[in-house]
Amino acid sequence: MWSQVKQQLAESTARFLTRFANLLPGVAALVVALLISIVVGWILAAVVRRLLSSMRFDDHLAQWGFPSVAEWSPRKSPTLLVSRAIAALVIVTGFLIGIAAVDAEWTSQLARSVVAYIPNMLGAAIVLLVGGVVARFLARSVLIGAVNLNLHYARLLSLGVKWMVVVLTVAMALEHLRIAPGIVKLAFGILFGGIVITLALAVGLGSKDLVTKSLERDAQKASGDNLEEPFRHI
Amino acid sequence: MEVEPIHEQVQEKIEQVDSADLVVGVLAELGPEALAAVCDALQVLPGSPRVVVLRDDRAAKPDQSSVAEAKRSASSCHLIFWPLLGSATPGTSVVGTSAAHQAVFAASEKFGARACCVIASTLETAAPGWIRELAQPLLERNLDLVVPQYARRKFEGLLNSSIISPLMRCLYGRRIHNPMGPDLGLSRRLFQKMLGPERGAGVGGNSVHSLASVAPAALCENLQVCEVYLPARIYPPTDWMNISSLVAQILSPIFLEMERNAACWQRTRASVSVSAIGEPVLVSQDTGTVDISRMMESFQLGIRDLQEIWGLVLPPSTLFELRKLARLPSEQFRMPDELWVRIVYDFALAHRLRTINRDHLLKSMTPLYLAWVSSYAHDVETAGRTALEERLERLSVAYEAGKTYLVSRWRWPDQFNP
Repeated sequence: MWSQVKQQLAESTARFLTRFANLLPGVAALVVALLISIVVGWILAAVVRRLLSSMRFDDHLAQWGFPSVAEWSPRKSPTLLVSRAIAALVIVTGFLIGIAAVDAEWTSQLARSVVAYIPNMLGAAIVLLVGGVVARFLARSVLIGAVNLNLHYARLLSLGVKWMVVVLTVAMALEHLRIAPGIVKLAFGILFGGIVITLALAVGLGSKDLVTKSLERDAQKASGDNLEEPFRHI
Repeated sequence: MEVEPIHEQVQEKIEQVDSADLVVGVLAELGPEALAAVCDALQVLPGSPRVVVLRDDRAAKPDQSSVAEAKRSASSCHLIFWPLLGSATPGTSVVGTSAAHQAVFAASEKFGARACCVIASTLETAAPGWIRELAQPLLERNLDLVVPQYARRKFEGLLNSSIISPLMRCLYGRRIHNPMGPDLGLSRRLFQKMLGPERGAGVGGNSVHSLASVAPAALCENLQVCEVYLPARIYPPTDWMNISSLVAQILSPIFLEMERNAACWQRTRASVSVSAIGEPVLVSQDTGTVDISRMMESFQLGIRDLQEIWGLVLPPSTLFELRKLARLPSEQFRMPDELWVRIVYDFALAHRLRTINRDHLLKSMTPLYLAWVSSYAHDVETAGRTALEERLERLSVAYEAGKTYLVSRWRWPDQFNP
């Protein structure tokens, strides 16, 4: 019986070592693929960075109406953002190639699920992009309009509108990505409602002076005081 | 359903009238008697020209009979109700008034007229005969553009005094006091240019803005321009709730014209006067203090909340100056002309470069414009007629002195940024 146990142990050790030995070239290939992709990604990023710098991409992007891209770019440079994104893409590709060398079946499953998820990611990216542009446009419209109406809480209004759109956009993007949909819905409801109530309170309290002034003006008009302003613009 | 008969009537009238020497488009609110007086006044023009008076078709209400009477009394003067204003409300929309001008030019072309006039204002003291003053130089002296020089009150026509007139003088080299009329007289040569394909749609497919295009078109083509002295115009009261829309509506076509005529105005150096017909009309000037608190408040709010937007348009030195101004007490508040001129030029440049959305850009200029008005109000509060003219002349000279700055920034927007 003891000899049978010894034989089983020897066989399982041999099986494990064989499988491990079979895996080693794949792991080595993964490391090599990663190293190569890092080098290629670094070179490609340097080329793209130099190309975009010579084109003054950062300045042009601001002129094309996307100055906010610089705000969330590393070191406030969209050029750096693009070059690093390209480097990351090359490295991820290299990693997937390396994984394929280890286990082709597992990689194909991973690739299938990644490819199936790409439309969601693209949809979320588009929603975020459009939402960002709309939020900025509306915030600016509200700010300028409120300042021209002499409203003292113009900035608050503008921020409120901006965050309402941003919260809505992020919730829609997360819904697209299918990340914790239950929590997202709940959080969205709480946040959106909170912003609306805050704005309503702020506008209500802030309008007190405006209404008082308006009523005073009406009362003065009714009492016959001369409030006629001489300014005529066109 | 109601439009149809009017169009039928228009067609019928066109067939009856066939052609005319002079077409007069009436956008101002004139009653039947005043229209009859217009016809009478135009009858005494030398050579008894055939005149067609166009009235907006929405004025075609019950008393058409009295209008017909007016027509009978002047056989070579025909009154036609014409769709001039489209859907715009008279006197409120700058774009609507511009479209009405364009409609008058198109009608003049249809009638083969030698000249056309547009009457868009009500004047304080003049009889409707003043319309003859606009038409006469066109028919007698073969001039191409007759613009009004209204008697000026210090706080009226402020957008014209602060931007339109001095900017056009500096750009196109002629000292025209009211380049955008709105009462204008045009020769056939000029109104045909206004109808041409290059004026049919603005830069980048923008809609037609005849009011802002007329004077630049005439001056860039070296056409003959003169002014006529007219009494003070009655201006509509200020709608403070929509002042930013008004500023945007007025400045947008002017800046578009700048873009279109860049080659022309960059060649122009100094400015010269244009000949004026008639005698200046004197008006009384108020010398009491005025309340500028609302405008100052707007500027202070702008400084607090709009610096982020102004920072995209104005150079740091200008922003610094504005912040310094904002700290001054109201009674010491004065905006230097040089600063104001640079602000106007920087906004014109940002409009051209589309630095930000154009509507946002122009509306965000309103607090700065109101700051200039406040400063100007301090300057001319107690000023008489001569002092007022001197004050505005100083502003125009500042515009001319700053033109090198404009040209440099226009040509090299990236390199030249003080």
